[in-house]
Amino acid sequence: MTSPDIHALTGAYALDAVAGVERADFEQHLAECESCAQEVQELQETAARLALAAAEVPPPDLKDRVLAQIREVRQLSPDTTVVPLRRRSLAQRLTTVAAAVFFVAAAGLGVVVVRQDNQLDAARAQATQLEQILKAPDAELLTLDGSGGATGSMKVAVSRQQDKMLLLSGNLATAPDGRDYQLWTLADGRPSSRGLLEPAGGNLTYEVGDLGDADVVAITVEPAGGSRQPTEQPAMFAELPSD
Amino acid sequence: MGDRARRLRSARTDPANDAGELLQRVALGDEAAFAQLYDLLIGSVFGMVRRIVRDPAQSEEVVQEVMVELWRSAAKFSPERGSATTWAMTLAHRRAVDRVRSAQAAADRDDMVGRRDASRPFDEVSEQVTARLEQEQVRRCLSTLTDLQRESVLLAYYGGRTYREVGELLSTPLGTIKTRLRDGLIRLRDCLGVA
Repeated sequence: MTSPDIHALTGAYALDAVAGVERADFEQHLAECESCAQEVQELQETAARLALAAAEVPPPDLKDRVLAQIREVRQLSPDTTVVPLRRRSLAQRLTTVAAAVFFVAAAGLGVVVVRQDNQLDAARAQATQLEQILKAPDAELLTLDGSGGATGSMKVAVSRQQDKMLLLSGNLATAPDGRDYQLWTLADGRPSSRGLLEPAGGNLTYEVGDLGDADVVAITVEPAGGSRQPTEQPAMFAELPSD
Repeated sequence: MGDRARRLRSARTDPANDAGELLQRVALGDEAAFAQLYDLLIGSVFGMVRRIVRDPAQSEEVVQEVMVELWRSAAKFSPERGSATTWAMTLAHRRAVDRVRSAQAAADRDDMVGRRDASRPFDEVSEQVTARLEQEQVRRCLSTLTDLQRESVLLAYYGGRTYREVGELLSTPLGTIKTRLRDGLIRLRDCLGVA
């Protein structure tokens, strides 16, 4: 997409009229284009006036229901981390550089934007972790695509011998407000939660061990905090190679 | 003059500053502040969500989710990125749109939903909405848009349509729709004095 084209999406985006991969692409662009972000903010402010203009009287009992419900809901603190990532600190430090190192060194896939030098060390550490899986003779690289409605794509390196897999994305859109990505493995149709995924600036690296006899990996978009069982069709999924 | 007028008036005055202060107290767990914030925003949230979701029971569900989400994630609001009202309305709009789009996807995307919806005249949506807009200023400013700009903006905002769907409904090329949406909002922004 050329830059004037993508810039023209500010209006559509402010109206939530951009969907799917295009939305993810645009959000990535927003992160790098200050003038676009400024314009989107103003246009969102404008769009909100359309909501103010549409005010209607709500059902009278709604307030009591909401007030009762919030007493049951724990609030986020500004620095809350609701993500039980086993390697969260590492994952947080992961950059697109890691993905680039990994893809180039290990799989020859894709070129990813390089950011800051000081992130290279973390990236190298990450790349080592990635290479380790790919060194396994049975390692396979799968692609999860967004055909189920997710915006972005993900690579999964799997080794049955090492009994683990590593998820990687450089363009995973942030989950919608109030929702989280939840990772599942399925063994013979039975889902096990593998935690919540929180992309930072589209980037994500996440390792999962103890695969056991899992035969499918899936990601769903769940209410914030995750669910005990998947409540929606997977936004992304792939079959895992058998032993 | 009762509840209705009072609520509409409170939604009509720009509640940005009040809402921002309240939201910061809400972030600290202040339930009384939340009850005030609820009163301030509920009319707009409810009206907007209902226009998009249409089904009354589902609309209420979405509105309830939105209000609880405001409580839950109040601490994520940062004033330097826009007003609290905009933050709340953006969250609510996104939720409502997600609801209609996932419902569509689940139920009848394959079942020619596009055709069914296309047969609903777009001007029904925009005229109804325009006629019922409570805010004189917004109505006046909307009237300064070209027809195509106004129809596109209203279909996207109150109709919950993607710009691609708007293009189909209005039989207009996508490039044109993108431009109309942007130009329309910019004109609206300038007319309303948002900055």
